[in-house]
Amino acid sequence: MAILLLFVCILALVLINVPIAVALGVVAVVAMVAAQGLDSLPNVAIVMYNGATNFPLLAIPLFILAGAIMNASGISRRLIALASALLGFIRGGLAMVSVGTSLFFAEISGSAVADVAALGSVLIPSMKKRGYPGTFAAAVMSSSATLAVIIPPSIPMILYAVMADTSVVQLFVAGIVPGILGGLGLMAMAYWFAVRYNYPVEEAFAWTNVRRTFREAAWALLLPLIILGGIFGGVVTATEGAALAVVAALFIGLGVYRELDMRILREALVEGGVQTAVVMLLVAASALLGVHLTETQVPQRLAGAIIDFTSNKWAVLAILNVLFLLLGLILHSAAAIILTVPIVMPLVKQVGIDPVHFGLIVTINLGIGQQTPPVASVLATACAIAREDMWEVTKKNVYFIGVLVAVLLLVTYVPVTGMGLVNLFYR
Amino acid sequence: MTSYARLRAAFERLLEWIVIALMTVLFLEVTVGVVFRAAGASLVWYDEVASILLAWLTYYASALAALKRAHIGFPGLVRGLEPRFRVPMVLFAEALVIAFFVLLAWVGYTVLEVLATDHLVSLPTVPVALTQSVIPIGATLYVIAELLNLPQVLAEARGRPVVVHESALAEKLH
Repeated sequence: MAILLLFVCILALVLINVPIAVALGVVAVVAMVAAQGLDSLPNVAIVMYNGATNFPLLAIPLFILAGAIMNASGISRRLIALASALLGFIRGGLAMVSVGTSLFFAEISGSAVADVAALGSVLIPSMKKRGYPGTFAAAVMSSSATLAVIIPPSIPMILYAVMADTSVVQLFVAGIVPGILGGLGLMAMAYWFAVRYNYPVEEAFAWTNVRRTFREAAWALLLPLIILGGIFGGVVTATEGAALAVVAALFIGLGVYRELDMRILREALVEGGVQTAVVMLLVAASALLGVHLTETQVPQRLAGAIIDFTSNKWAVLAILNVLFLLLGLILHSAAAIILTVPIVMPLVKQVGIDPVHFGLIVTINLGIGQQTPPVASVLATACAIAREDMWEVTKKNVYFIGVLVAVLLLVTYVPVTGMGLVNLFYR
Repeated sequence: MTSYARLRAAFERLLEWIVIALMTVLFLEVTVGVVFRAAGASLVWYDEVASILLAWLTYYASALAALKRAHIGFPGLVRGLEPRFRVPMVLFAEALVIAFFVLLAWVGYTVLEVLATDHLVSLPTVPVALTQSVIPIGATLYVIAELLNLPQVLAEARGRPVVVHESALAEKLH
């Protein structure tokens, strides 16, 4: 009963627009004082400090910084040109280019909103100019940006790995095949739309064009090989790989493409710092609540209650899928991971679900959550660029969401889809 | 520009430069750590200092995020209310946020006295109180940011047309 009260209080504070991190902190402090008295208050400062000193999470500011520098270095423009040369000849060419560029961009960025902002600002107006409906342009751009969190590097995956105490590298590897499948599925759906509504073809396929755009984008294409190759090969950790990404981005932005100026670099540093703080304050506040939850054995009690109902692994996965899909409707992915993963992990382990497999499921679920209103950060960004109503875009986007749900079900019930490469290389 | 706007802009610039400095040092520290490890001469203080820098970035940049109103929340319900219901709710939420960080600043300060004789494991010359000072200082900066935002937040709650500084930065994490 006390636990239910705890969560009702958090929900009530969030609904009156208290930042989620502060809502967690306030409720945790009240619970601590109620249980242990005022003498426990100094612990608040110590736990809030220790909660923010989580070494593996250093990868977050560095990947955000690398992404911002790469985006300001003209990389997105060159990737769009290459995708256009490769895919523009297909009916609905620009829609294909949107998905294709997102597939490339996902390998150097870990944030779907960053992707949709970088690519959508170029591709959505281009699609509208070529006669695509704005609602379709926003839908295809928004859904394909979700690939950024499924394909490594991925900020939600880093966060999950830390909260679940599992391998971020294995999680990155697990995302590769589902990400590519998702990209192909989204392309197939875009093609179906293109044929049905007779969307235009962009340019005839020409090897000279492919060669020229490939040469121009070569450095951008080299980035994922350096960063992910280093991480997967065990040469560097995810955190060190993120630092390597910043070095590579600076080298390309300042030395090769020469499009990065100091003003943009300054903005990238500020933006990276602020985005990191938003997540890290949540992590620190959740550590405070975590102390109370651990003492009251909430995760273990929850696991026990669900196992009393069913201990079938696949049924538990179905329950958790529904839970995360619902959470995705109302919570940002970072908040959903930080709030729920520590609570459901004992259940996940008890029924024999691999934490890496579960991490992939959580990531795809929350990727879908970014597409489902009312809280849908990626969709909202695409709609803002397209100047279209979110609900009108959703009527088109529901088809693309269907593709992502199909990938989720495949990953959930055919684990080898994601875990095949992990088992092959790491186990 | 009014003196309030000047004060707000100066505070924002100060926090931005602190964040820029921390991000730069963090990046350099990790990079140097990788180079030394690759050269077979790992730095013993690498992990500990990097973790401290992350904590510092968290709290100094949190104050900046508060000023930019970038922390993750759920404004939809409150925004949909009539101003006569919205204003008390906004006031209550703001009071709660400020009270939490005042408490954090106070307990953070009292902890510094307890930790006065402790030093870092890898760098014995650096007192733990110095690294932990980020809690009272960061919490105080957060409170200042909230107070500087208050006139604008209240004006919006009353339904007056104002220039919104709300940032979508938090969204970019997804």
